[in-house]
Amino acid sequence: MGDLWQSLPVPVQDGIVTAALLVPGLLVGLVLRRGYAPGPLVGAMLWRFRGANAVFVLLMAASVAVGVGLTAQERAIRRGTAEAAARFDLVIGAPGSEITLMLAAVYLQAADMPLLTGAQYARIAADPDVALAAPLAFGDSHDGHPVVGSTADFVAHLSGPLQAGRMFRTAAEAVVGADVPLSPGDSFHPAHGHGPPAEADAHGEAEYAVVGRMARTHSPWDRAIIVPVEGVWQVHGLASGHAPGAGDRIGPPFDAAYFPGTPAILVRADAVWANYALKSRYTTADMMSIFPGTVLSQLHGLLADVRAAMSVLAVATQAMVAIGVLAGLVLLMRLFARSMALLRAIGAPVRFVLAVVWSYAAALIALGAVLGLILGLGAAVALSAVLSARTDLRIAAGIGWTEVQMVAAFLSLALILALVPAWLSARRPILPDLRQ
Amino acid sequence: MPDALSVATAVPALRATGIEVVAPDGRVILSVGDISIAPGSRVAVRGPSGAGKSTFLQVLAGLVWPQRGAVRWGGTDIAAQTEAGRAAFRRRHLGIVFQDFLLFDELGAIGNAAIAQAFAPRADRDGLRRDAAGWLARLGLGDVGVRGVASFSGGERQRIAVARALAGNPAVILADEPTAALDRGNADALAEDLVRVAAAGGRTLIVVTHDPSVVARMDRVIDFADGRLVADGAV
Repeated sequence: MGDLWQSLPVPVQDGIVTAALLVPGLLVGLVLRRGYAPGPLVGAMLWRFRGANAVFVLLMAASVAVGVGLTAQERAIRRGTAEAAARFDLVIGAPGSEITLMLAAVYLQAADMPLLTGAQYARIAADPDVALAAPLAFGDSHDGHPVVGSTADFVAHLSGPLQAGRMFRTAAEAVVGADVPLSPGDSFHPAHGHGPPAEADAHGEAEYAVVGRMARTHSPWDRAIIVPVEGVWQVHGLASGHAPGAGDRIGPPFDAAYFPGTPAILVRADAVWANYALKSRYTTADMMSIFPGTVLSQLHGLLADVRAAMSVLAVATQAMVAIGVLAGLVLLMRLFARSMALLRAIGAPVRFVLAVVWSYAAALIALGAVLGLILGLGAAVALSAVLSARTDLRIAAGIGWTEVQMVAAFLSLALILALVPAWLSARRPILPDLRQ
Repeated sequence: MPDALSVATAVPALRATGIEVVAPDGRVILSVGDISIAPGSRVAVRGPSGAGKSTFLQVLAGLVWPQRGAVRWGGTDIAAQTEAGRAAFRRRHLGIVFQDFLLFDELGAIGNAAIAQAFAPRADRDGLRRDAAGWLARLGLGDVGVRGVASFSGGERQRIAVARALAGNPAVILADEPTAALDRGNADALAEDLVRVAAAGGRTLIVVTHDPSVVARMDRVIDFADGRLVADGAV
């Protein structure tokens, strides 16, 4: 049985689980309504109290939307952050915090980090398994955009073909990310540091000329300005990475004796398996290697409890609203007490009365659930757009099986709970209600 | 149109014996020794307010459960039935016209008159709706089937209630002061309708009424006072 289940495609498994979740609630309706036609009466009752019903539906929809929106958004953020890290196969830095290294290299979160030396860089760059070893030099910014020093190979690796212009050829040229409001032909003075404390004049008359624009990467690098690492070193008054006789050349190979140091090196291996070998090789007493994707997974794993708590809160909110709405329906049913008593007085079976009240509640619950699913998706999409604009991560929220199954479980449970007002309504004495 | 006003089920005779209905405070609301009503009879039940005549009708309908006694409709003691059994008996044999119309305000005239189709067996639904439409037409409401009942006058509302009571083609019609809320003209018209359809179909008609013009159309009158049957005779 287990093998059969495992052999089914995942969407089929999800579909079966969803159907199984819905079955109890639908079964209640099927049993109650079998052989009866309560639709016209229920429809007329719903229409008569459409104002109150709309409030119930909106309450229900809001609670479902909160749950759906939260889970869809959380998943979208997880995927977006993972996508942003996809091009950072292996990052090597000095021993310290793996998370700090990942946040700095992948998400450009400024941090003070110890530097790797020229000898360490040279050893990595010379490794036969290494296809790309790009130093990353942080610390400067322009108008809120991080200015990062690296190599042309790194830009090519990150962006692929440029969207506009050309690659930098001198230490005073720059290539900008897709969301940087500078164009080829513009120039800027780098500030030292990031954010409000950045010192605009710290680098004197240093100036970069923008010569190209990267294609969109859906990562914080879309807001970054990349310059030759030599440029960063030079504006800080350091050696250029090359011997004095090397002229104005930029890019590898670097001369270890004139290599000022780098907080992080992006490494790409020729083959996937080689990444593991490289990680092992460069995890030493004076070097730390990380797979950003793995660190991110660990981070997401640490947040799993938060995610679970969020889900529980979302479900609890839905349950409380559902109970509140059903309690409201019990009160509303008092308005229908005379009609229900009349049905029983003219000979309607108790099951028919149950079917009427249950169908009334079920219509509101189902409408609320579907509307909630749509509203939740809408809210998640809107929030994703805002987050994407602020972080440059590709955060694309969508409804997944998780949300569908959550709503299915809620719907099923609420449909079963809808028996309560139905039962309470059907057990009221007939004559007192007829005299109302 | 209902065909020839015929009844589908055999009209059961009524025999009530030793009925006693006691209020929670111990007061006897209704006490009836022995009473029989032959199939096809037209019976007026009258008496001052609080005399027990409506309770008597409700006992006959199985809406009130007497603490003592038997209410036999044919071979069925409705007082001994479960609630489901009493509901089933009302559904199959009784058409009830309530004093205050008691319509579903959210439905139109035809929706009210044919309400029983919602819980009738699937095979009977179309016939029931045709039946209801036929009675509405016969009662002068043939062209207003889908109009909301709130727009109808009192007389029209009561006629819709009568159409509903007759739509199931019942063997017995129980009416609780059906003309109380109507003006003279409407009251007379409704009384005439009730008597006509009852007589034509051979149905038993039991009407609680204060209205002399209704009583005059019956062939038997039973008087209640203080919850007891005090007189029973021909009109």
